[in-house]
Amino acid sequence: MSNGQAGHAGQAGQAGRAGRAGRTVLAVFVVLATWIQVRAADNARQIVEEAQKRTDANSQRYEGLLQVFDAKGKVSDKRWTFERLGSHGRSKSVLRFTAPAEVKGVALLVVNHPDRASDQWMWTPAIERDRRIALQDRSTRFFGTDFSFEDLEERDVDQYDYTLAGDDTVDGAACWKIQSTPREAKSSQYTRSIVWIRKDNYAFARIENYSRDQVVRRLNYSDIRNVQGIWTARQLEMTDVKRGSRTRLTLDKLEYNVPLKDEDFTLQAIRRQ
Amino acid sequence: MRRGRSGGSGWRVLLTFVVLVASSPTTAAQVVSQRGFIDGSVVLFPQEAPNDPVRVIGDLLARDDVFVKPAPWLQFAGGIDLRANTHDQVEDSWRVDLTDRTIRRPRVAVRRLSATVNRGPLTVDAGKQFIRWGKTDIVTPTDRFAPRDFLNVIDAEFIAVIGVRAVVQVDDETFEGVWLPRFTPSRVPLLDQRWTVVTGQPAELPLVDGGSVLPGGSQAGVRWSHVGAGFEYSLSFFDGFNHLPNIAPALQPAPPSLEVTRVYPSIRTYGGDAALPTRWATIKGEAAYFSSSSPDTDEYVLYVVQLERQTGEWAIVAGYAGEVVTTRRAQLTFAPDRGLTKSIVARASYTIGPTRSVGFETAVRQNGAGLYAKAEYSQARGAHWRATVSGVVIGGGDDDFLGQYHRNSHVRAVLRYSF
Repeated sequence: MSNGQAGHAGQAGQAGRAGRAGRTVLAVFVVLATWIQVRAADNARQIVEEAQKRTDANSQRYEGLLQVFDAKGKVSDKRWTFERLGSHGRSKSVLRFTAPAEVKGVALLVVNHPDRASDQWMWTPAIERDRRIALQDRSTRFFGTDFSFEDLEERDVDQYDYTLAGDDTVDGAACWKIQSTPREAKSSQYTRSIVWIRKDNYAFARIENYSRDQVVRRLNYSDIRNVQGIWTARQLEMTDVKRGSRTRLTLDKLEYNVPLKDEDFTLQAIRRQ
Repeated sequence: MRRGRSGGSGWRVLLTFVVLVASSPTTAAQVVSQRGFIDGSVVLFPQEAPNDPVRVIGDLLARDDVFVKPAPWLQFAGGIDLRANTHDQVEDSWRVDLTDRTIRRPRVAVRRLSATVNRGPLTVDAGKQFIRWGKTDIVTPTDRFAPRDFLNVIDAEFIAVIGVRAVVQVDDETFEGVWLPRFTPSRVPLLDQRWTVVTGQPAELPLVDGGSVLPGGSQAGVRWSHVGAGFEYSLSFFDGFNHLPNIAPALQPAPPSLEVTRVYPSIRTYGGDAALPTRWATIKGEAAYFSSSSPDTDEYVLYVVQLERQTGEWAIVAGYAGEVVTTRRAQLTFAPDRGLTKSIVARASYTIGPTRSVGFETAVRQNGAGLYAKAEYSQARGAHWRATVSGVVIGGGDDDFLGQYHRNSHVRAVLRYSF
């Protein structure tokens, strides 16, 4: 073997070692990145789990004022009473309009499930009938507000996959920014959501809902107060980005763990005015 | 059976209700809710009808429903209607009507008056109440406890019935039993007005109202409903009387006239309904077989298949209503439910904004003999006011249920104050 050949062989050996080292570094990097991502996903899920745990309650009741602002700034008011038995994916809720007079008595029963989309029925007193809200109709606006029927469901941690998307601030409060992607059984109109969760109290600060790559609805939480040990936003504002309209929901007379009965959350119960 | 005449004890019943509610032991903790409206409308018919030259009709309705909950397990519901009309569609008397069996609309009527008791899975409603069965919207074959006011055939409101309804809901299963001791008929068009169309009648022979032969027996029905994950269905059985009448004409010699009597035949119906959401639309179906022991009454199957979809600001319902007559027995009837069959029917509404909407509705007979189309614009103002303008076009031939009303195309304007 000549020196030249030996030199070439040495260079080739060095190059081979360098290549192996590079592949090793790359593999380590990929493993590390995957591990970090898994940890981030784990962390993201843990954060959402913690946020959910902190809002667990046997029941909830409030009186809501809905103010719908159309793109021209015109306002129309609606009022409802809301009662919920259970928490998150194992809850049932009844929402009943109390104003304006022409929709008084209209009620929506939502039965949430941990592993799939909720079941919903609407009672319309003018025709004395209830109607099931089909899954494919959940993306439509609820009674002229900017909330869709799906937005009235309670989110459950098991219905989504999570990724930590970084840190951010909302209204001056430090937040985790988490991407949540609905699992197939959830049957969501949204392809993904970005959720901002406050680091100081694990309260939701904002949700941006996407359809493909477009933000379609944005929900902002404000006036966050501690009510019976649960950090709760007293004001929620949903913006329909495409229409340019928004609906502000203000929670009044909010109470947790009020005595409610299972029999008040049935189709028969929403018929009672 | 007996000739119908409404009782006049309405004031006493209303007073008893008020006393009962006021004296309930937990009055202080009562939850009271109320809703009502005052509704003024004007209808303009461009064409005169042969039996009715009046082309402009004004109508006034004040309605108030009150719900009182003295205890979590008990609720009382009471409602009252006050009416006035420029075309003699409302009775002159100020008596309080409880039974809603009169030919004209009562001036003062108890719209509903019932008590609801709820214990665990059991709910019992007793009194004058609305009972709705079925899932479809256009024609509802299983909706047997829901008579309607057909003074204006295409715009018919429901009339409450007097009876007891018991419901047991256990998980996904609901069992329902209804018993009505007293029959409530649908209100049919007035003989001397445009929604009664008589073809082939000698012009010189006046129509005379022979009244109603109201059945005296009770009616009953049972229904089982199942709610599944994403679908639901019901089976029902009804044993009672058709709230839509057979018409018994009789020539009267002196003075010469054609006396028209309404007879309500006994019927049994065996029915079912289902709703199945799919990826694109909700499919709803409903069918009932009507059998009768009356020798003058047809036996038949009514069925409806409809698709329902909400997308964006649109809510759309479209379907087909059909009929299969299994036994035909010659008889004149007033049967809008059967009259709307063999038709393609559709309804669509579009929400323009928080206060404005438009709606469209149509029914087309499959043989093209009858057509009905309606367009409506509605706008709310503030928290109480709503104005609605609608235009209805009816076309077709005299021998078709829809087509016979071809002179009754109209424009309607309604102003409502809700409170």
